[in-house]
Amino acid sequence: MNPLPEWLSAGHDETRFRAMLSPDSPYTLEQLAGESKAITLRRFGRTMSLYAPLYLSNHCSSGCAYCGFASDRKTPRRRLEQEEIRKELGAMKRLGISDVLLLTGERTKAANFDYLRTSVATAAADMQRVTVEAFPMSVSEYRELAEAGCTGITIYQETYDPLRYAELHRWGPKKDFRERLETPSRALEGGIKTVGLGVLLGLADPQEDALMLYRHLRYLGKTYWRAGLSVSFPRIRPQTGSYEPPFPVSDHLLARMIFAFRIALPDVELVLSTRESPAFRDGMAGIGVTRMSIASRTTVGGYHDAESSDRGQFDVFDDRTVEAFCNALRDKNIEPVFKNWEHAYNGPSHMEAEK
Amino acid sequence: MDSLHIGSYTFSSRLILGTGKFSSSSVMLEAVKASGTQLVTVALRRFNREQPGDDLFTPLTSIPGITLMPNTSGASTAAEAVQAARIARELSGSPFIKVEIHPNPQHLMPDPIETYEASKILAKEGFLVMPYIPADPVLAKRLEEAGCVSVMPLGSAIGSGQGLATAEMLKIIIRESTIPVIVDAGLRSPSEAALAMEMGCDAVLVNSAVAVAGNPPVMAEAFAEAVAAGRKAFAAGIMEKSGIAVATSPLTSFLGTEA
Amino acid sequence: MSQMITIQVNGESFTLPAGSSVSNLLASIGSEQESVATVVNDQIVRPDNRASFRLKKGDRVEILIFAGGG
Repeated sequence: MNPLPEWLSAGHDETRFRAMLSPDSPYTLEQLAGESKAITLRRFGRTMSLYAPLYLSNHCSSGCAYCGFASDRKTPRRRLEQEEIRKELGAMKRLGISDVLLLTGERTKAANFDYLRTSVATAAADMQRVTVEAFPMSVSEYRELAEAGCTGITIYQETYDPLRYAELHRWGPKKDFRERLETPSRALEGGIKTVGLGVLLGLADPQEDALMLYRHLRYLGKTYWRAGLSVSFPRIRPQTGSYEPPFPVSDHLLARMIFAFRIALPDVELVLSTRESPAFRDGMAGIGVTRMSIASRTTVGGYHDAESSDRGQFDVFDDRTVEAFCNALRDKNIEPVFKNWEHAYNGPSHMEAEK
Repeated sequence: MDSLHIGSYTFSSRLILGTGKFSSSSVMLEAVKASGTQLVTVALRRFNREQPGDDLFTPLTSIPGITLMPNTSGASTAAEAVQAARIARELSGSPFIKVEIHPNPQHLMPDPIETYEASKILAKEGFLVMPYIPADPVLAKRLEEAGCVSVMPLGSAIGSGQGLATAEMLKIIIRESTIPVIVDAGLRSPSEAALAMEMGCDAVLVNSAVAVAGNPPVMAEAFAEAVAAGRKAFAAGIMEKSGIAVATSPLTSFLGTEA
Repeated sequence: MSQMITIQVNGESFTLPAGSSVSNLLASIGSEQESVATVVNDQIVRPDNRASFRLKKGDRVEILIFAGGG
């Protein structure tokens, strides 16, 4: 039995995408970079949209082999209470951040839907833009989340290889491959305006995963044509952390992937986090990536208590200050953008009931 | 087999032929046969006892494998198009309807608003609605949501022979659509039909280019071959053009040399 | 002699005996029964109903065929 839905099967329009990523690609990296840069400039201008993650809770019920917050890790567990969230947001605002990504683990009693919705409302009162990277929800939960002020969700499939997926997700709700695969669709049906997709690079064959991710984006773009889409490129870097990636992805391959997505999907936001090095991030700015995280803390409560020695979900590589990072962008003639004007337009999605 | 699926129907030919503007019914019928088409458009007209030979129903339906797709031409409002569609279904027994609403007889440009309204109603009534539309990507998605089984954006103005003047918009429509995209109107020569198919259109509808050709049946065959070739090329994956500019100062030197 | 009535057929005046049906009308103007659609006062009259559908004075009848079109 094929566990993959029909829309993940080969299409007629992926010849070039495959060719760009193939090991014997007819395109040099420089050729792809040139075309990717031209498209990025045309479509996004000389701007970089900036956000920062806020870890609300590291409670988790899943056993993802690669994750520092998996439920069998010895990491101390805590969640931020609303007053603490306000403190964190205050600390972030003082850094200039107004676009926040709220994170939790898989659904637990400590960090359940009600907690998340309350936290979104708390953040929406303070921030220009609130997005969420948490657990899969139902359509009606997503609708409530949108009403509380969440405009986007991020949900990585991690890998589109069902067998690898089953090996890596040892227990907990995340074991269900199809449930996760259909989560972005449910979010968009619930009125969430943008969804962010990604694979965790290093877990499985990167070319295959990239192709499946491309198909997933094409499917969402056709089916939910009003949606904003973004792709992140989280990479388990070799020789860091405790999990040794079985399919390490080199800088060259990662760059090639970013260019291929930019060329094949010119309108999609491409995101790069502080997992990557300052040199790689600076290099990718202006030639493909259009959204980056800054000044990230990957521990719970990490902004207010910046000296904490807790181990986060992953190790931050680019630990430059907001100011240092923005100066690096400006040196490249790129304007850092903190404020997202979308907020002003977040009225009801329909003026009157259509159906 | 790389077939065209519209609603619950399957067609092996991706060429749809219009039956207007021919010098005679017999030439038209020859062209239909030569094209191998399985879907032909017809228009409703008042019966005229002086010209009983105008009636195409019997000759067309006696060609094996032909499905009729009546159009609503002559309608300039949604209400007129809906009425025309209902009458046409009585006569054709076919669920297909090409919604075609042009209020301006000078250029025959489709009215997007009336077309949307009519399509919404007809889709609810169980018609397989194929709207003829301006090449507007948002309109195409709205019609898809309204229940249309296909969209038929124009390549250029009806009968203009200007080819794929709307190519950039057509590409967006093709990229976003989950229902077949059929280029209707404006094609002058088989190469343009092939180009439309290579772009990823699911079918093309041709009328004037065949009807007014020096030899319509031969031209119909030429279009059929071009459509088939274009489709094959699309499915096979067309090689990329070269000539991507390489920046004078390298963009990727920050990556160092590959390990 | 039976009484005559006047109706409109495809926009033109037409006179026929009172009590005539749509089928009678089609026969009298020499049109096919199968390959036309009939509409009386904007209501479609299906082939099965043509024999029983009696025309009245002033009715507007449309007799439509499929002709060439794109």
